Amino acid sequence: MIAVRDLHKAFGEQQLFRGINLKINKGEVVVCIGPSGSGKSTFLRCINGLEYFGKGEILVDSLELHSIKRVRPDKHDLEAIRRIRLKVGMVFQQFNLFPHMTVLENIIEAPMRVLNVSKEAASEQAISLLRRINLESKVSSYPDQLSGGEQQRVAIARALAMKPEAMLFDEPTSSLDPEMVGEVLAVIKGLVNEGMTTIIATHEMGFAREVADRVVVFDKGEIVEIGTPEEIFANPKAERTKTFLSRVLKI
Amino acid sequence: MRRYLRIISLLLGLGLLLYWAAPSQSKPAALDAIKKRGYLLWGSDAEGGAPYIFPDPKDPSKLIGFEVDIADLIARELGVTAKQSQNAWDSLVPGLQRGDYDIAMNGIEITPQREQEVLFSMPYYIYTEQLVVRKENTVIQTMDDLKGKKVGTLSGTVAQDILTKLGGVDVRIYPGQVQPYEDLAIGRIDAVLLDLPIAAYYGKPNPKLKYAGTPMGEGFYAIAVRKGDADLRKAINEILAKLLKSGELKKIYEKWDLWNEAQEKLYKNIKDSSGYSGLEESKKAPVYTFFPMLLKGAGLTIFISATAMALAITLGLFLTVVRLYSRAPFSNIATAYIEVYRGTPLLIQLYILYYGLPNIGISLSPFVAAFLGLGMNYAAYEAELYRAGISAIPKGQMEAALSLGMTQRMALQRVVLPQAFRIALPGVTNDFIALFKDSSLVSIIAMVELTKTYTILAASTLRFFELGLVVALLYFAMSYPLSLFARSLEEKLKGKRR
Repeated sequence: MIAVRDLHKAFGEQQLFRGINLKINKGEVVVCIGPSGSGKSTFLRCINGLEYFGKGEILVDSLELHSIKRVRPDKHDLEAIRRIRLKVGMVFQQFNLFPHMTVLENIIEAPMRVLNVSKEAASEQAISLLRRINLESKVSSYPDQLSGGEQQRVAIARALAMKPEAMLFDEPTSSLDPEMVGEVLAVIKGLVNEGMTTIIATHEMGFAREVADRVVVFDKGEIVEIGTPEEIFANPKAERTKTFLSRVLKI
Repeated sequence: MRRYLRIISLLLGLGLLLYWAAPSQSKPAALDAIKKRGYLLWGSDAEGGAPYIFPDPKDPSKLIGFEVDIADLIARELGVTAKQSQNAWDSLVPGLQRGDYDIAMNGIEITPQREQEVLFSMPYYIYTEQLVVRKENTVIQTMDDLKGKKVGTLSGTVAQDILTKLGGVDVRIYPGQVQPYEDLAIGRIDAVLLDLPIAAYYGKPNPKLKYAGTPMGEGFYAIAVRKGDADLRKAINEILAKLLKSGELKKIYEKWDLWNEAQEKLYKNIKDSSGYSGLEESKKAPVYTFFPMLLKGAGLTIFISATAMALAITLGLFLTVVRLYSRAPFSNIATAYIEVYRGTPLLIQLYILYYGLPNIGISLSPFVAAFLGLGMNYAAYEAELYRAGISAIPKGQMEAALSLGMTQRMALQRVVLPQAFRIALPGVTNDFIALFKDSSLVSIIAMVELTKTYTILAASTLRFFELGLVVALLYFAMSYPLSLFARSLEEKLKGKRR
């Protein structure tokens, strides 16, 4: 469903990706792991056009996205990015809820403005999403009245309200207090079990092992190794994977 | 420390006010002082002051004019030299009383109410009021034809009083003598009534203008000295009489093309006629009689400020969005606009808008010029406030909105700007208060708002102190509620869940 071909990306002079290739099938759960700065977040952000890239292709179903120019991206590219974003939802490390809107307004804003759903229909859908994540009572709260875990769950509901075909999670639990990590992972797990095509960048190794169909190891802008959780965690082949895992699993 | 500074500055201000308001002390021997000093200081206004006193077109560092010639003759007779002291025309008498110069001579008309303030010499010129209209105008022949017409004149002149007394005339008050004739030529006003020497120099040479009717309302120009300086007046009177007899004065008038039969009366040396009664009543009237006029000015001040602020807010928003989100040439233009408007004085911008644009064929009404001038200037400041607000919004907000499929425009409208505006709001209300006070600057473009009303009333009644206090109070009464509103808004935003 999602294919990345020969992706090149640089931050100014600093070259990060020198040709990344990855294919994600429908319903597959891919977990990206690797040290900080290895490029897993940037990889996700490239897929839904939040980062400009120099060379390569991003394919989502039949939609194609070629290199995006940093200055003056052309109309065709911008339209392709927007269509990809409608198919692929994204959840951020910092939640990024809109602070001036209530929980309900956060969720119904995009369906109403972008998909032209009526306010009634959007609200109904929002409430059923909130019920699923046990936050029905917070409908009219503002984001700063919620805990971090609650905010991230609302952010997931907000992305789901656009009825995406795939979801990107960019370190969804990295800025949460430890006691809230579980509730967020539970929501993601529920989603994965329903068959949502998912790419997750995370430092939660246990979670990666549990939900992943495939694990992708990033290091210094390269994909070091791809394999099933068993292959990666029990029997890593690449030296760099071993170093990384020994460092994180020791802690 | 800060409190002390505040108290000190308050006392200083109060002291200055009292100093200004206090009656000037009469110096016993003004004449001796001048002779000892070696020069005679004479107050006048060279700004647009031809043919009285103005910079020589051939050598602008030199002042010329018929009054310069007269001053030189008087100084010669006193055995000293003449030295000009520049002051705004409608402040010449207060300046004299304050002791800034020895005499004031600048087409100052003898009026009973000025006679209470200063001593006048014998008249040195007999002026008449001349009506000037556009060449093609055949309707306006006499003063009676002025009803319902827009008529320009100078602030604080006898002509202004005549027009006001006439009633039903839309009187436009100008700060200088050049502008009324220029506005007349381009059709902003229908006629100009001013002293003949001014009309002769500024109105007559303009091919688009002509005299209408005959000169009217004879009056006298005389030299003003302080009340206590009777000795100086006596000396000046003797000198003037001598110059009249010797024909030297007549020669000056002929040189400047100002001689006419009316001047013959100077020889009779009479001061009885004219029967002109000035604003004598208003001089003694209680302060509240001026309230209707001041309130009218205050109303205009509020109206200009509010409309200009509305323009500033919307134009500022447009500038910010273009600067931050549009492509190369447009964003650069927006940046340049902001820098230029912030980096040049508002006063200059107003002058260019109102007096400059007609040179290239664009003539704005005073209100439109004031609205555009203030609004376009403040838009630059608003734009910077919004930009600060926008850059305070985390990048993730825009990214989250985009990732939900919103267009950049939608994300700006619904997510970024509402948050940015809340951050900018205290600054915006603060700017509104500043604009409110800056609106006094538009008095230079013939808008009679509160400050202009004040200067006109004060110049004609010489009650700068009481009226100034009243006007300052009026400004404060209008701006303080705004401050309170701004404060409560800030509190509300602080308290509001975000």
